[in-house]
Amino acid sequence: MSLEKATGLIIRTTDWSESSRIATFFTKEFGKIRVLAKGGRRIKSNFEVALDLLSVCSIVWLRKPQGGLEILTEARSEERFNGLRSNLPNLYAAYYLAELVNEGLQDYDPHEQLYTHTLEGLRLLNAGGDPIGVICWYEMLWLTELGYRPRLNECGSCGQAILRASGLNYSAGAGGVICPSCAPSIKDKRPLSAEGWRALVELEKGHVSLTYAQRHELKSVLEQTVCVVLGKRPRLADYIVA
Amino acid sequence: MAEPIGPISRLTKELTKLPGIGPKSADRLAHFLLAGDRSVATQLAEALYHAVSSVRACRKCGNYSEGELCPICLDPKRDPSLICVVETPRDIDAIERVGFFKGRYHVLGGRLAPLEGIGPDKLSYSSLVDRVHQEQIKEIILATSPTLEGDTTALFAANLLKGAGVTLSRLARGVPTGSSLELANTQMLLDALEGRQKFT
Ligand SMILES: [Zn+2]
Ligand SMILES: [Zn+2]
Repeated sequence: MSLEKATGLIIRTTDWSESSRIATFFTKEFGKIRVLAKGGRRIKSNFEVALDLLSVCSIVWLRKPQGGLEILTEARSEERFNGLRSNLPNLYAAYYLAELVNEGLQDYDPHEQLYTHTLEGLRLLNAGGDPIGVICWYEMLWLTELGYRPRLNECGSCGQAILRASGLNYSAGAGGVICPSCAPSIKDKRPLSAEGWRALVELEKGHVSLTYAQRHELKSVLEQTVCVVLGKRPRLADYIVA
Repeated sequence: MAEPIGPISRLTKELTKLPGIGPKSADRLAHFLLAGDRSVATQLAEALYHAVSSVRACRKCGNYSEGELCPICLDPKRDPSLICVVETPRDIDAIERVGFFKGRYHVLGGRLAPLEGIGPDKLSYSSLVDRVHQEQIKEIILATSPTLEGDTTALFAANLLKGAGVTLSRLARGVPTGSSLELANTQMLLDALEGRQKFT
């Protein structure tokens, strides 16, 4: 057993008993970890913070080499996103980011860059940023980090370079854009507008402000890809309206 | 090792379904109930049966009730224009113990927890909206838990009731009375600073 230290975002909490709580942290240093906070539901707990969803804490915990429930020993609040508490669409978007992290990552598999981007996304949402814009940007980063970056510059099926933006399709199963000659043989294809394709290419480079039409198209293209990667539809997907 | 006989293992199995009861405690309770004076066990069984068969949800507010309406909804001295929205009937007991609140209640039946698959359709928001339209409600206090999920639950209700002509408020949070600032944790102090009130 060893004591570990990290900074992390709480992405899930489960009540364990009348007074204790299990918290899942996405830590910068160790990736996803799950710890038992004994007395973590009490008003006067040992912890400097209420262990609440979507708050960032510096923590110390007892790591068990053989697996089994690990025990939180210290927690101190580092950052909260209180702006979310009065903005429902952005709050749902923030939950969605937490769900993607929780479903996409394995325990003790660090993803420092994704951690940084997750906090950046939450800060944008907290400040009232466009939730669909943040979600699309984040989904692209999440897919890239997990090794499923959509292929946009070459056909996801035959690998031919995409030279023209017209007549394109997109297939979540094939993992990207589909060229006109491959299209007939791809089952889960959907048309991709030239505007939508350009927006996806831009999105790979960073934040973009999306037009109304692009919001719908990108949201559904990326969400479909996320569903294929996870093998299921995220719970929060139903709450996000483009 | 010999297994306990059928009825005992069934009893322990049922007891482990209770919150905070593990297999060891269940085993201890089962043996206690069966040893010596069995009137404790029979009275418990009767009380359980009676409670389960006679307690239902109040048609209006969702509180536990023996009749169609609960005593609070039936009490003419309670202010019908003031509604306190809570997650569970247990929260009503907590607020009633204080004896300060003179309005009526609305039980949502849980809290909005999208990550856990608990959506607005699982809570009694629609009957709350109906009440606002049918009853002479002027003020609604959203007394959900002081957590992000509790805030989500309240925020959803607030959005739903926007424009319905009722005053909405949230419970204050912060440093507990009687404690001292140096004993309060960071969170409590932050809450207290953010929710500070004007000197009047
Ligand atoms: Zn092709
Ligand atoms: Zn009632």
